[in-house]
Amino acid sequence: MLGEWLSRFRFFVTGKKRIDVDEELQFHLDRAIEANLAAGMSATEAQRQAGIAFGSRERAREECREELPRWLLESLLRDLRYGLRGLGRNPGFATVAVLTLALGIGANTTIFSLLDQALMRTLPVQDPGQLVVLSFAGSDPGHHHSEGGDTPGRTHEFSYLMYRDLRDKNTVFHGLIAFAPKSVGITWNNHAESVSAEMVSGNYFQTLGVRPALGRLLVAGDETAAGANPVAVLSFAYWKNHLAEAPVAGKTLLVNGTPFTIVGVAAPGFHSVVWGHTPALFVPITMQHVVEPEWSLIEDRQSYWIGLVGRVAPSVTPAQASASLNALFLSLRATEFPQLHDQSAKARKEFINDAHITLDAGAKGFSPMRENVRMPLTIVMGMVLLVAGMAIVNVASLLLVRAATRSREFSVRFALGATSGQIVRQLVAEGMLLGLAGAAIGLLLAPQALRLLIHWISGQSSGEPPYSATLDWRVLVFTLTATMVASLLFSLAPAMQFRNPHLADSLKQQSGTGAGGSLKFRRTCVALQIGCSLMLIVAAGLFVRTIQNLRHANTGYETDHLLEFSLDPQLAGYSPAQTAAIEQQALDAVSALPGVHAVGATDDPDLADDSKDGDVKVTGYTPKPDEELDIELPWISDNYLQALGVPLLAGRYFKASDTATAQKVAIVNESFARHFFANNSAALGHSVSRPNRPGTDAMIVGVVGDVKHASVREPARATDYTLFAQAERPTGLTYYVRTWQPPDAAANSIRTAIVNLDAKLIVSDLNTMKEQIDEDLNSERTIALLASAFGALATLLAGIGLYGILAYSIAQRTREIGIRMALGAKRSTVIGLIVREVMLLAGGAIGITIPLAILATQAVRTQLFGVSTADPVTYAAAIMVICLVAAFAGLIPARRAAGVDPARALRTD
Amino acid sequence: MPPSADLLQGTLDMLILRAIALQPEHGWAIAQRIQQVSNNVLQIGQGSLYPALHRLEYKGWIRAQWGTSENNRKARFYSLTAAGRKQLDAELANWDRLMGAVNLVLERI
Repeated sequence: MLGEWLSRFRFFVTGKKRIDVDEELQFHLDRAIEANLAAGMSATEAQRQAGIAFGSRERAREECREELPRWLLESLLRDLRYGLRGLGRNPGFATVAVLTLALGIGANTTIFSLLDQALMRTLPVQDPGQLVVLSFAGSDPGHHHSEGGDTPGRTHEFSYLMYRDLRDKNTVFHGLIAFAPKSVGITWNNHAESVSAEMVSGNYFQTLGVRPALGRLLVAGDETAAGANPVAVLSFAYWKNHLAEAPVAGKTLLVNGTPFTIVGVAAPGFHSVVWGHTPALFVPITMQHVVEPEWSLIEDRQSYWIGLVGRVAPSVTPAQASASLNALFLSLRATEFPQLHDQSAKARKEFINDAHITLDAGAKGFSPMRENVRMPLTIVMGMVLLVAGMAIVNVASLLLVRAATRSREFSVRFALGATSGQIVRQLVAEGMLLGLAGAAIGLLLAPQALRLLIHWISGQSSGEPPYSATLDWRVLVFTLTATMVASLLFSLAPAMQFRNPHLADSLKQQSGTGAGGSLKFRRTCVALQIGCSLMLIVAAGLFVRTIQNLRHANTGYETDHLLEFSLDPQLAGYSPAQTAAIEQQALDAVSALPGVHAVGATDDPDLADDSKDGDVKVTGYTPKPDEELDIELPWISDNYLQALGVPLLAGRYFKASDTATAQKVAIVNESFARHFFANNSAALGHSVSRPNRPGTDAMIVGVVGDVKHASVREPARATDYTLFAQAERPTGLTYYVRTWQPPDAAANSIRTAIVNLDAKLIVSDLNTMKEQIDEDLNSERTIALLASAFGALATLLAGIGLYGILAYSIAQRTREIGIRMALGAKRSTVIGLIVREVMLLAGGAIGITIPLAILATQAVRTQLFGVSTADPVTYAAAIMVICLVAAFAGLIPARRAAGVDPARALRTD
Repeated sequence: MPPSADLLQGTLDMLILRAIALQPEHGWAIAQRIQQVSNNVLQIGQGSLYPALHRLEYKGWIRAQWGTSENNRKARFYSLTAAGRKQLDAELANWDRLMGAVNLVLERI
């Protein structure tokens, strides 16, 4: 077998000389003549008989050639050359087809690349398949810091002491790592900025198998005791983009005012074990108190704040790992339980008996952010596939039209002895050429489109975006496979016509009207296109209406002339004791600026998907059994509610006289009052406190209206405002400034005012409230934008497809139209004829698509806001757009048809 | 001339291999030999003989060399290679099996 292939390969390379074949055949012929002469024929007769017996010498030569091992390649090249020539003869057609494909392929590649990066790619670490993400079920009394993304009933955050126990006592992991994200202020070369950081366990990099790009990474010895490890590792992206690849190893930088030694830089490409996190630096988790001075999480068993990822030893099965780890976890929980406040049997059951650890595959890492983008990306991918489908149908119908106009060419080739297989092969070769050209342009466009899109998605958020604009091999494979499949599909559509054995005959008689079968096929193409574009326009309409509704949703206060910024004095090294004072100074400094009407601050920023909530006890209210009171608990400045313009419904606002040492006071919102009391004024005078937190007891002095808090999508929830000056611990605040100055001028004067207080203070996220709302609506805005773009693209494609097919079918019907006009049909009648045909087609397609669209939009229902999936306005508008496009696409060829001169038309063909 | 019997698929290759098994032959001689031995029943069209010869050559079963014919002309002589001989044996064995089976069926039914 091998010998056979070797021999074929030898001849593939060397080939066979044509002259050798000729000589061999000539010898044969000569011998035949000799034999005939010997049999007694005359010289001419001998030659004649030999020639007859031999048959066509050219044919024998051809057949010998076809046996050559490289014949297949030669014929393929010939088909391609021929195809190229054919396309070159019709550059307009080729351009439209290639551009259509380039748009379809480029859009697909772009979106697929995002989808791949967000949902499919594994972490750039060693053996990612061995990683598992830990989460647990069971109660978690105490503080819980979560980034979201939790599955109901499961918590992804553990306490640090639990982590230590699990890490040191388990028998199933080759390393268990811990991590927690947090913003910090860093000062490098006297330049201060706020960046994201990750607190990590000492074994983090070793367990993941990440190598240093410079210096060394953290090791187990960097996680010894609370506050004892002031070392930091920079991420490659931050080091490259912000520090210009300076020789940083061994240098010192300030983190929240505390000096840290930079020991090294992590390998390029590695961001974090959590997808979507792009920390600028990594610090040992034991330095938690520097990163978050107001909290002492590290020694507290009731603080749930770090994520855990383990590397399962190769010899351990997932079931073994889970069983062994759960046994350990339950015993640890049992020893923890006596330290809890609530020692009831119910609490015991919830804390120990219901506790269970789950190990999820962690090759891609745990990521709340991924869960947030999954649905939007899937929707967009669905839309872009629809666009690609339309591009294929469009090119197929264009090719079909072209094939039909080339019937003369094909009949000539048939007459010259081409088989239908050869013609189909040529059509496929042309299709492949179009596809490859489209893919090439699409792939050139994709990185640009990707860059734009990433820029749009990341918006104003600081830090590196989690997406990269380079296409990896996976995306290339996807694009090439999709191109091949698409090319085969659209080139085989016209080729189907040549499967008909009687085609040679039918080709000889030029048909005056479009051939029945292919006409039906073409109509189907057009109907499909109209359907697809209607679907996309409906989707675009629904998303655009969603974003309009969200933008104009009532937040409960005026969002014009409102600026916000964040300031965390602890990032500049202020101690907890100094914090409240400098915050009050900042408030005073900003309110003294010209044009500033009012300033307020809160530790729980509005419309930023943030939430700060917990349980409360309210005097005069008996909770129902098992009632969980999850109340929003912002700490605000005395002027915050007035600055936003939240209306007062009963009692009073906070006053400057409500100082840290005065009676603790609270203001609740309407939802709170409605839930706990009969009416707003009944709430006044009662007191609210946090269970098991002495000194949180505050008297309700006012009731204000409800406002949207986490997001404009979510309804207001019961809220209990207290003063940050009276709060348990100081914290960074977000400031809201009502100003009559233009935003840019106001922003500048705010920065100056803060710098004048202390140059180390970092003002971050300074933008207008409108911008903040847009940021909050980023995924909705992105979907709406892309849906509109795809809808427009689809409509354009449908228009082109419709026009092409109509132009062709009218050219075919020139004679029929001529006869009609000769018999007295008016121009308007002819135009009406054509337009009616188009409208019937469009109407049919619309009729079929609408129920499908209503069904399909069910899938995106969760992403809509304030608009039904069967929104009549959207559907009416979409149908109108389609009808307009159809009418327009039909009118141009119809007018041309009406311009037919009957006398000339009758003479054609 | 009676119409020549259609050669079974793949039989031509076997006949060619067999015709040159004893000594190298050129195309004309191969065709003549097969025709004569079969009493003119098997007529091989030149158009199919040469493609078949080339195909076998590309597969490495036969080797072609320029030589001098019996009437002193330059001709291409084909001879079996080791792989070709093995192939011929396999095809002959297969042929015997097939013929035996067909004959059995014809006799017994």
